[in-house]
Amino acid sequence: MTNLPLLSLLIGLPLLGALVLGLGQLKEQARNIAIGLSTLQLALLGYIYTAFDKTSGLFQFNETHHWFSISLGSMGQFMSKYTLGIDGLSISLLLLTGLITWVALWNSTEIKEKIGGYYSLVLLLNASIMGCFMAKDLFLFYVFFEFMLLPMYFLIGIWGGPRRNYASLKFFLYTLVGSLLILIVMLGMGVAYVDPYETALLNGLIRPEQDFNLEALKSVQQLISSQELATSSLVHSFDMQALADFKNCQITSILHISSGWQLAGMSAREWGFWLLFIGFAIKLPMVPLHTWLPDAHVEAPTAISVLLAGVLLKIGAYGWLRITIPFFQIEALMAANILAGLGALSIVYGAYNALAMTDLKKLVAYSSVSHMGFVLLGIAAFTSEGWQGAIFQTISHGVLSALLFLIVGVLYSRTGNREIDSYSGLVTLMPRFTVISGIAIFASLGLPGFSGFIGEFFSLMGAFTSPFVHPGIAVLGALGLLLGAGYLLWTFQKIYLGKHYQKNAEWSLPDLNKLEIISLFGLGFISILLGVYPGLLFELSEKFVTELLK
Amino acid sequence: MGLNLLFLGVLLLPWASALLVALFPKPLFSISLSAIFSLLAIYFCTQASVDFKITYPWFNLGGKEMNASFWANASAQLVLGLVAIVSFCVQLFSKKYLKDDTSIGRYYVYLHLFVGSMTLLVLTDSILIFYGAWELVGACSYLLISFWHQKTAAIQAAKKAFLINRLGDIALLFGLIALGLHFNTWQFSEINGIAPTLIGIAIITGGIAKSAQFPLMSWLPDAMEGPTPASALIHAATMVAAGVFVGVRVFDITSPETHLFMGIIGAISFLSGAIFAIFQNDIKKTLAYSTISQLGLMWMGMGSDASLFHLLTHGIFKAGLFLAAGAVIHTVHSQSLNDMGGLRKKAPVAAFAYLIFGAGLMGLPFTSGFFSKENIAGFLYMNGHFELLGVLGVGMILTSFYISRQFYLIFMGPVKEGGPSTTDFALPICILVVASLFACISWNPIEIQGSALLERFEVSVYHIPSFWLYITAATWVLGIAGAYFSRNWIPAGNYQFLPRFWPSLFRFIRWKSRSAQIFETHFIDRFVNGIAALQVIIAHLLAWVDRHLVDGILVGGSSSLSAGTGKLLSRWQSAKVQSYWTMIIVTFALFLLYALFIK
Repeated sequence: MTNLPLLSLLIGLPLLGALVLGLGQLKEQARNIAIGLSTLQLALLGYIYTAFDKTSGLFQFNETHHWFSISLGSMGQFMSKYTLGIDGLSISLLLLTGLITWVALWNSTEIKEKIGGYYSLVLLLNASIMGCFMAKDLFLFYVFFEFMLLPMYFLIGIWGGPRRNYASLKFFLYTLVGSLLILIVMLGMGVAYVDPYETALLNGLIRPEQDFNLEALKSVQQLISSQELATSSLVHSFDMQALADFKNCQITSILHISSGWQLAGMSAREWGFWLLFIGFAIKLPMVPLHTWLPDAHVEAPTAISVLLAGVLLKIGAYGWLRITIPFFQIEALMAANILAGLGALSIVYGAYNALAMTDLKKLVAYSSVSHMGFVLLGIAAFTSEGWQGAIFQTISHGVLSALLFLIVGVLYSRTGNREIDSYSGLVTLMPRFTVISGIAIFASLGLPGFSGFIGEFFSLMGAFTSPFVHPGIAVLGALGLLLGAGYLLWTFQKIYLGKHYQKNAEWSLPDLNKLEIISLFGLGFISILLGVYPGLLFELSEKFVTELLK
Repeated sequence: MGLNLLFLGVLLLPWASALLVALFPKPLFSISLSAIFSLLAIYFCTQASVDFKITYPWFNLGGKEMNASFWANASAQLVLGLVAIVSFCVQLFSKKYLKDDTSIGRYYVYLHLFVGSMTLLVLTDSILIFYGAWELVGACSYLLISFWHQKTAAIQAAKKAFLINRLGDIALLFGLIALGLHFNTWQFSEINGIAPTLIGIAIITGGIAKSAQFPLMSWLPDAMEGPTPASALIHAATMVAAGVFVGVRVFDITSPETHLFMGIIGAISFLSGAIFAIFQNDIKKTLAYSTISQLGLMWMGMGSDASLFHLLTHGIFKAGLFLAAGAVIHTVHSQSLNDMGGLRKKAPVAAFAYLIFGAGLMGLPFTSGFFSKENIAGFLYMNGHFELLGVLGVGMILTSFYISRQFYLIFMGPVKEGGPSTTDFALPICILVVASLFACISWNPIEIQGSALLERFEVSVYHIPSFWLYITAATWVLGIAGAYFSRNWIPAGNYQFLPRFWPSLFRFIRWKSRSAQIFETHFIDRFVNGIAALQVIIAHLLAWVDRHLVDGILVGGSSSLSAGTGKLLSRWQSAKVQSYWTMIIVTFALFLLYALFIK
């Protein structure tokens, strides 16, 4: 079993499914095939989870294949590798992706048209997200990252609501801007940085079968910085490990730490940091780059909203932790106060907007903005509590936002109306639905015993105790706890409690069916499980956080 | 080993009960589970040492172990005992009180959940779990206040209670984190030394909301929309006392300034609560303001053993008052004093109990309330807080006044209304009557002497010189006399403290949120649209340059290429957002130029 390329299989399975379904055959079986493949993927993830070594801080299940190399003449050569691997950060996100995709596929019953295309695109989306979380090569990451746009664009644009064209275009363009910012930095760094291992191999400094140890690395870095190697014999690559070490940067480059180059008062490294930061901030989304999110959510079908909020937004946080911060550690540390401030702004601003919403789905979308602000606040702390809290909040929000969007979907599928004012006192008609909605709402407002509490608590605590962040910012962020309770309880009271009322007397509002019960209560159970045993997630990311903090 | 197992049972049984009752919603089943819990809890309190500690591994974070640790010290055991007694009485009482309610099962689930959270709050040693339990009891309070979810007032009150408590929770959160950071430990029992005043005040501020102290008091009278027995348990005896309990927990590790802060807040609440208790028409709201006032009295004890002692005695007699009031409400089917009067014949048990509990509230001899009130006076006297002692004297006049007036209006005078008399509620009320008598504390009704209970739990007693007894007696006389002279006056309505404050605050939040939305549509989106429009203009310009200059002047292969670009660009005027493309490409090209050639 271990000889199988497990990680490639994680991408390959849905890709295969997407191909088969995309060719237009097997339309009747599309749903079953998609769910079957997703189940298989989930089982594979389960195996990987059990085989994953939590005590190791290194990448595991590594796969490396040569992809392409281009000779750049006097500038050396470019090389890109297909390298996959997972560590403590990616495994929990992979598990989340597998789970949420599975849930979203099950709950796609509202899709009645072009079924084959729909399931094919969802699988394609799943494959590219999986790839994003596993790629160790920045170029490979970027390919997956860009590729995600396409299925999402079509999923909103074809199966979306009335304003789907506007929403999907807005989503597409916003995200494209983000990824172009990332591309700029990626190309710049690719040129400036040297891959020490490949360079050493090319120049015969080490033999292929030899281990590349720390001393060898140091000697190669010495050679790079002293410019003893001819530029034509250097190998440039997008390997993330190579890019994360600023000593691999050529001394002549503006990205080198000693370069005095400045543009608008910022050094090239600062530019690099901010471009990368904003590129991922659009995905998160961070205020004020968030306006695509409510539109996209409102128009997207339920299952796609679930995927969007549950998984796609997490790539923003992942990108920061995997790419932005390791690549530009010093710059990130210098910006800690600004990052925390932006996080607190997202929390409070998102919560205020959520309070003003009359559309339930928009409210949940803005609550996403608010909750993802805690992730940024935790990351800005640069303490292990803050980062663990941020990672935990990422996963927790994935589960809870999926739950909330499914709840919106339950109402929408019955009535086609999402206005909060259209309903009142649903508890009399739908007691089970009210129970799970209550659980979801209390979990989202951070009640202890649910996962949201742990994430928000440790993010706030990290920011409050961090030497890099002003404690006042954390206090400001904590206002989000109050506002969050405000809009969520207000919603709960309006829709579920009080005297029964529905805008249109002809709507029939039957209680949850079996599928809905299982998916909703299942997600609720996961939230409680993580809230009571937060160690389940903390132990996975522990090593990653301590390694990165060094 | 047996004790550890017993402890685990006490800790987990309420949660298991909640689950079981959710599956089998039968009142009798729930009551028996509650009885088992109460017996276990009280047995545990009699067996465990006053420094009982137990630690379970929970999780690791950043190399530090976060343990689920528990510390059943003397104060925790005493409050646990109180929770056990009152929760059992309330469970018993609720069976009859809510017998016509179809969702009584849900009510019992909430009660068990609350008892579980409260037990956790009292017993935990971990700062993190303490904060968690603190929020959980607030959530249970939300659920119980909004139990009758068809009543608009009830769900409004529940929301208000939760939000105001959340406000306090934020202060508590930062207070506790700062405390843990300052002493570099996450366990209360490992803290030695005095915390900075600011940290202490933050923690105490967290308690203000939970104990409904000044100025965050207005949620408690509203919370009376919930079922009366639940009010007895949560909003009189236990949950609101958590604000006092946190003061007790940190008493030894906080500075005298913190204690004084607590005492002053308590004094303000003690007086204002007592004043507002006079001006209530609703029987439960009087008791709610009375609770605020009495909690203020505990705060005047500043978290010392005097606070703890009064917490216990008050918990018993105030829960009793609520249950007796519940019996009265059940008889007359109204909560307004206008509909009551002369009920001593219809509800003799309630009348007798009200007399005893009221005496406890006033601090008359032969009740345990007498001891605890004198004890607080002793504490203030010994620490030289004579101003607060004066406040106590004035407050005692007011207390005697409002409770004796209320007793008169309900039970004495002419009969106004009322259904058949009922003695169904006798048992739980009688348990509380017995528990609120002096004999439980000390055999001497005037002076605490050789109290087995207090010695067992190492509660220190503060004595006060006998001059205070005369002052106390004078307050009773003044209060009762005042009540006698004003006996025919009934307040027309329920006068609220700062009635406009909270609605206007909520309006303010609504306004803020709406302006945030306006900001978004009018500013951010417009800004983005502006950039887009700018791009369209640039595209037009480029296209013009392209057509007239490049295409017109330069002829050849390059010109045809530019013409293609120009056409492409000019096409983008149709949709504004699309012209992001231009911006992107221009920026991208510029950067590439820099990165590749100017580096």
